[in-house]
Amino acid sequence: MKYDLIVIGAGPAGMSAAIKAASYGAKVAVIDENPSAGGKLLGQLHKEPKSGWWHGRKIAREMETNLRQTGVTCFQGKEVWGIYPRWKVIMNNGEELQSENVLIASGATEKAIPVPGWTLPGAMAVGAAQTLTNYHRVKPGNKVAVIGVDPLSLSVAHQLKIAGVHVVGIFLPPNNEFSKDRSTPSQMISYLSSMAHAAPNIFLKFAGNMAKYPFVQQVGAKFYPRFGIIIWGTPFYLRKTVLEIGGAEQVEHIKVAPVSQEGIPNEDRVKTVDVDCVCISGGLYPLMELAGAAGCESVYIEELGGHIPLHSPEMETTQPGIFVAGNITGIESAKVAMEQGNLAGTVVAAKLGLFSYKLIEEAQKNVKEARENAVITFQQNIAKGREKSQQSWKEYDSKGVKLYADS
Amino acid sequence: MSKDILICRCEEVMLSELKAGINEGLTTAKALKLKTRAGMGICQGKTCRPLIEQIVAHYTDKEIPDGSGLTFTYPVRPISLIELAGERKGVE
Repeated sequence: MKYDLIVIGAGPAGMSAAIKAASYGAKVAVIDENPSAGGKLLGQLHKEPKSGWWHGRKIAREMETNLRQTGVTCFQGKEVWGIYPRWKVIMNNGEELQSENVLIASGATEKAIPVPGWTLPGAMAVGAAQTLTNYHRVKPGNKVAVIGVDPLSLSVAHQLKIAGVHVVGIFLPPNNEFSKDRSTPSQMISYLSSMAHAAPNIFLKFAGNMAKYPFVQQVGAKFYPRFGIIIWGTPFYLRKTVLEIGGAEQVEHIKVAPVSQEGIPNEDRVKTVDVDCVCISGGLYPLMELAGAAGCESVYIEELGGHIPLHSPEMETTQPGIFVAGNITGIESAKVAMEQGNLAGTVVAAKLGLFSYKLIEEAQKNVKEARENAVITFQQNIAKGREKSQQSWKEYDSKGVKLYADS
Repeated sequence: MSKDILICRCEEVMLSELKAGINEGLTTAKALKLKTRAGMGICQGKTCRPLIEQIVAHYTDKEIPDGSGLTFTYPVRPISLIELAGERKGVE
């Protein structure tokens, strides 16, 4: 079957792009691996200071209706395992779709912070705990420790609590090759303070408010009580780390130690805490396996979460006709992803000659605005990351040759 | 001395093996993969790929490169032979 545009991933970015392009008259197909469309929107529910409640599931349903109304063909519950020149998109039911334009909106996946024992049954990524709790309505454990402090881990700790799980505490990850700033109390306090105005949940609101005063930021790490601060019945330990997860056949306990401001543990004061589940949050990284296999060049940008496909201001990769939008280009909020999708959809429609190129500039402006107005940032220094990304493209574009050959 | 950590689950490669590889002079993620099989399992390193890159960057004191040399290969998701052949009739 031939289309004007094939979109891979029905999250906020993919759906926006499909609706945009289809609304200009393009023939669009969307492929998504999950049972229902929406991607990460489905788990989002929080209150924003200006615009009120952000009800992801509701937004996803509205967008799904829009997809249908604009005549987009949806392949739900299908995985894409390959994209061949130029371009055949192959799904796991053997079906093959063709288009000169493919948008890869595959989103992101969880980054691990390995800790001794992290592969025991009962230890899981924080996103898995969220899916178990909110989607399958199954408790991931009865006594749970959360490792890592970020908007996702705090939200999940809150949701676990609501689900009746005993959360023994929220801890810092150990200071090792993988945790970087996440294991440092002073860094975490300044990060939390940057989100003081956002209140998606009670933990984040409290933590943000606590940290928003410059005084607390300077001395906070030093004077943060070692016994933690109890928020809604859950101890929030910004000065304790989990050194090890232990157990014979599954998670049975964690070993906890106090840390210095710089995140160095005091190994003489290790305590054992009984738990049957540990949720580890190391943040997200862009999922670019399909783009990589399709031959798109990548660039590593720490501020955006890791390797991203090198892409133009029009969201096109180094493979002509392959576009990207959403978290595959860097970890940001759903609103930014939607505007990036709108931009990619607009560019493809313009390329097809469905209207003038002038609208592209407006779409680019909207992405910038959404980024500037973001309430919660998942990565620090997003703006710097975006600058680097643009700069890399400029270098690539000016040389007209492949900059980043496979090493 | 802290306990060893499993890094690649598919191929069961420990952090200590990766560190030993770097000590022996391996300086890239690809070289480590070839030597230790870390990231060579059926998941293509979905979890350990960024970890291997971080380990190399950490112990060689270099930035993670733009092209890491850890390739992606089709199929990017596991598929059955029947799916590959496109003959699904009557098969569940």
